[in-house]
Amino acid sequence: MRHVRRVTMLLIAVARLGAGLSFAVLCAAVLIQVAGRTLGVSPVWTEELTRFALLYLIAFGAGLALRSGDLVNVDVIVAALPVRAAWLFRLIAAGATAGLALYLLPHAWRFVAIGAMQRAPALGLRMDFAHVTVWLMLALLALFAALRVVGMLSGAEDGTPDARAED
Amino acid sequence: MDVAVLFSVFVAGLALGIPVAVTLGLASLAYLFLAGIPPVVMPQKMYAGMDVFVLLSIPGFILAGNLMNRGGITHRIIRFANALVGWIRGGLGLTNIAASMLFGGITGTAVADAASIGGVLIPGMKKAGYPADFSAAVTAASSTVGPIIPPSVPMIIVGALSGISVGRMFLAGAVPGILMGLAMMVTCYIISVRKGFPRQPWQGWAEVVQAFGGAVWAIAMTFLIIYGLLSGLATPTETAVIASVYAFVVGAFVYRELPIRAVPGIVVDSATSAAGILALVGFANVFGWILVSEHIPQAIADRVLSLTDNKFLVILLINLLLLFVGMFMETIAALIILFVPLLALAQAVGIDPLHFATFAVLNLMIGLTTPPVGVCLFVCAGIARLPLTPVVIAILPFLLTNVIVLVLVSYIPQIATWLPSVVMP
Repeated sequence: MRHVRRVTMLLIAVARLGAGLSFAVLCAAVLIQVAGRTLGVSPVWTEELTRFALLYLIAFGAGLALRSGDLVNVDVIVAALPVRAAWLFRLIAAGATAGLALYLLPHAWRFVAIGAMQRAPALGLRMDFAHVTVWLMLALLALFAALRVVGMLSGAEDGTPDARAED
Repeated sequence: MDVAVLFSVFVAGLALGIPVAVTLGLASLAYLFLAGIPPVVMPQKMYAGMDVFVLLSIPGFILAGNLMNRGGITHRIIRFANALVGWIRGGLGLTNIAASMLFGGITGTAVADAASIGGVLIPGMKKAGYPADFSAAVTAASSTVGPIIPPSVPMIIVGALSGISVGRMFLAGAVPGILMGLAMMVTCYIISVRKGFPRQPWQGWAEVVQAFGGAVWAIAMTFLIIYGLLSGLATPTETAVIASVYAFVVGAFVYRELPIRAVPGIVVDSATSAAGILALVGFANVFGWILVSEHIPQAIADRVLSLTDNKFLVILLINLLLLFVGMFMETIAALIILFVPLLALAQAVGIDPLHFATFAVLNLMIGLTTPPVGVCLFVCAGIARLPLTPVVIAILPFLLTNVIVLVLVSYIPQIATWLPSVVMP
C-alpha cells in the first residue's frame, strides 16, 4: 500500500513538473513572439514551439486532470448510490480509463512512427517528437488510472478527486 | 447499427460516471471496431483535434483568471460592486450579480466565479439576514454570465469548431452577457422587495471612487484583453499570455497579495484544468469525425427540415434540445458533439453562424445551474452547506429570467451580432 502511494506521488511530481515546464515554454515562446514583433525581428519558430508546448502540456496534464476531477464526469447516478455501490462505479470508471488508454498505446505508437517521416517546417524537428505527446498522454492516463484501481483495491484511496494544491 | 452502438456506449459510459473524454473514446473505439476502421485513426484524430491554433489561448486565459483570483481581486470587485448597488433593496444580492459580471471579464469559466464570489458573499449574505438558499441561488445563477462576457473558454472552443474569429465570438457575447446580468438584477430586486430583504446605507461617492481605485486594475484586464484582440496587435494566445503576465504583476506588485512562491502551483493547476478541457477536445474530435463521416449533421438537418423549415420553430427546437442536453452534460463536451451538427441545421434555415454560436453557448451556460448536473448549483449549495433541493427551488425565478433572455437573444439576432458588426465588420 505504501509503495502504491509512493509511486503515485512520484508520478504526480513528474507530471506536475512536465506540465509546469511545458506551460513555461509556451508562455516564453509567446512572449518572445510578441517582443520580436515589437522589435521588428519576428522569429518564425515561435508559433510551432508554442503548439508543441501545448501538446506536451496536455500530455503531462491529462493524467493529473483525471486525478483532480478536471477530466469531468457525469456523476449524477453515482452520487445517488449507496457508498459501496458508488465506490464500485468509481472503480469501473478508473478501470475503463486504464483499459482504453492501454489498448490505444500500441496504435498511438504507430502514429508516432508515422511522424518520424515528417519534419516541422520552421523548427526542423522530427514530427515523432510531437506525435509522441498522444502516446505520452495515454500512457500517463493509463498509469494514473491503474494506480487509482490498485489504490482503491488496497484501501489507499477511495477514488474521489484529489484536493487542489491551491484549495 | 454502428451509429446505434456509438451512442449506446456513450450513454452507458456517462451513466456509469466514466470521465466524458474516456466515454467519447470508448464509444468511438466501439464504432471503429464494428466499421472495420483501424484504431490508429484514433490517435491521429486526437492529435488533429488538440493541435488547433485557437486552442492555444485556453491555458493562458485560465492562468490569468487564477492569478487574478489569488491576487486579491475577489474582495476588491465585491467592494466596488457593493458601493455601486449595495444601497438598493436586496443590495447584497445585486452586489453578487454585479460582481459576477465584473468577474466574468477576468475569468473564462463559471465555476471559478461561483467558488470565488460565493466563498465570500454566501456567508456574508447569510450573516446579513438573507436566506441561505437565496444566497446560494443568486450566486449560482449569476456565475453563468462569466463565460458569456469575454473572455470565455466555451467561445474559444466554438471558434475552433466553426472558424469564427475568437474576437467576434467574444464581442457577440458581451451584450447578451450584460443583458442577462441586468435581467437577473431586476429579478433579484423584485424578490428582495417582496420578501423585505435588507439594504445597506449609501456609502457616498467617495467610497465608490475609492472602491473603483481598488478594482480598476482588475477591470482594466478585461479591456486589455478586448483591445488586444480587436486591435489586431495580438493573437488570442498572445493576448492570453500578456493577460497572465499582467495578472501576475497586479497580484504580486500592485495588490501585493499574490505570494511569488504560490505561482508555480497556480501555473500547474491551470495547466491541469486546461489539459482536462483539451484532452476532452482530442477525444471528442474522434467522435465528431465519426458523426461527420456518417453524415449525422446532414441527417439531423434533413430530418428536422422534413418536419419544418420554419426558422422560428427550428430555433425553438434547437434551444429545447440544447436545454435538455445541458441539464445532463458538461458544457464543453456538449458543444463539441452538438455544435457542428446543429450549425448545419441552423445554416440550412438561414441563421447566422455567429448568432447561432452565441445562443448555443448562452443556452448551455444555463445548464450549469439546472439539476441534475448543474456544476455551479453543486458548488454554491456546498458553500451554503445546504442540500440541493432548496437551492433548486430558490433558483427557479433566475432560471426563468435567463430563459427569457435566451429567447430574446435567439429571436433578435442583433443582440448578438450588432457589436461585432460595428467593431469588427
